[in-house]
Amino acid sequence: MKREELIKKWLDHNLNTQEQNAFEQLEDYNELIKLDAALKDFKAPEFSSDQTYKTLKPEKTNSKQWLKPLLRIAAILAIGFSIYYYTTTLDTTVVTDIAQQTSIELPDHSTVDLNANSTVSFNESHWGETREVKLQGEAFFKVAKGQKFDVITADGIVSVLGTQFNVKQRDSYFEVTCYEGLVAVTHNNKTTKLKPGHTFVIIDGKLLANEKENAVQPQWLHGESSFTSVPLKHVIAEFESQYNQTIITENIDLSRLFTGSFTHNNLDLALKSVTIPLNLSYSKSEKSILLKRE
Amino acid sequence: MGLFKTMNKPLQDNICESLLFERLYKKHAKNLHDFLYYKFGDQLNPEDKVQEAFIKLWQNCSKVAPNKAKSYLFTTANNLMLNAYAHQKVVLKYGQKPQKSSTNETPQFVLEEKEYHQKIQTALSKLTEAQRVAFLMNRVEGKRFKEIAELLDISVKGVEKRIYGALKKLREDIDEL
Repeated sequence: MKREELIKKWLDHNLNTQEQNAFEQLEDYNELIKLDAALKDFKAPEFSSDQTYKTLKPEKTNSKQWLKPLLRIAAILAIGFSIYYYTTTLDTTVVTDIAQQTSIELPDHSTVDLNANSTVSFNESHWGETREVKLQGEAFFKVAKGQKFDVITADGIVSVLGTQFNVKQRDSYFEVTCYEGLVAVTHNNKTTKLKPGHTFVIIDGKLLANEKENAVQPQWLHGESSFTSVPLKHVIAEFESQYNQTIITENIDLSRLFTGSFTHNNLDLALKSVTIPLNLSYSKSEKSILLKRE
Repeated sequence: MGLFKTMNKPLQDNICESLLFERLYKKHAKNLHDFLYYKFGDQLNPEDKVQEAFIKLWQNCSKVAPNKAKSYLFTTANNLMLNAYAHQKVVLKYGQKPQKSSTNETPQFVLEEKEYHQKIQTALSKLTEAQRVAFLMNRVEGKRFKEIAELLDISVKGVEKRIYGALKKLREDIDEL
């Protein structure tokens, strides 16, 4: 038998006695045996399947097959519930644009008339506990009889018991008028009670005297904005809320007081109503109106 | 008899059955470990890769047929290794046997033996991965050609070629060194 055959058979642990003898006669037999013995020292580190299987086990049982679909269902339910909870506890918000008015009914059938460029929000799911309405802008409230009812604005809180009142809160302008019942206005931790026909006005942080109002409802509900001794800049701001126009002024004292009203339906008439009493002139362009001294 | 057969069969067919999984583990884990060690050395922790491969097998137990489990494990573990492995030179450690406290060997003999081991170590690192795995599975783990052929999914002739080629190359390199 050839030398190569013998070595291959030796490698395969497949020598019979006769072949073993022949293999031992090979000239490089000693070298092969020496190499073979030395190679045994390169043995891989001990690996005991019994031991390592135990360390595998905890991880293995964690990923039970039935758990996966169950986790999926749980995740879907959790997401569903949180969306449900989130949406039901979310505040309801109503926003009006410039030159737009709207009327909404609250869960207790109180009504809110929302003037232009205003936002009102309330929470339907908590309505039973607290009747709270957040307001930015101007709104007229007809409140159904019941527990405390609060209108929260940036400038103060208006609290009432079954009544009709108007709240206006815009940049540094805060006005509350009571039309029926009794209204308490809390501003800077001071509470003022308003009887029907009385108005509470704070302009640029200054409290103005309560004015007597004879109307049954605010003028704006009838398509008119009316003012009594209000600085011109607040009149202009209201004008911009009612007409989608930008008003630019030139050499005009914006703190001049204006008493009067303007309509919401006729731009020219409205402009005249404001400018003529103050001896001003106006000129219209695309999207803006320039006011200046006559 | 026939009844038992049909009753037992569905259980046998699924790796998700933990008894079968354990049997597969006991059968393949050591071979897989040795395969990874002789191919890549110990830098990348072959034992971890064995465990990872079996965890993957368990996670996919319903998708892998039992007769494909072995090649699934070897392929998975090999890929896990390759992901981390940047073709460094593989240096296998030797001489983990306990030191003899007293020895009648001469210092010269001890030195020569050490040099001889270092030569083998260098020569082993020069073998191809395929040669080294087959050769050491055969020489160190005492496996026959047929067993290695089954393990590596290649022919017995192919194994013989690798092992004999490895022996030849190893002896040439040792003589040169």
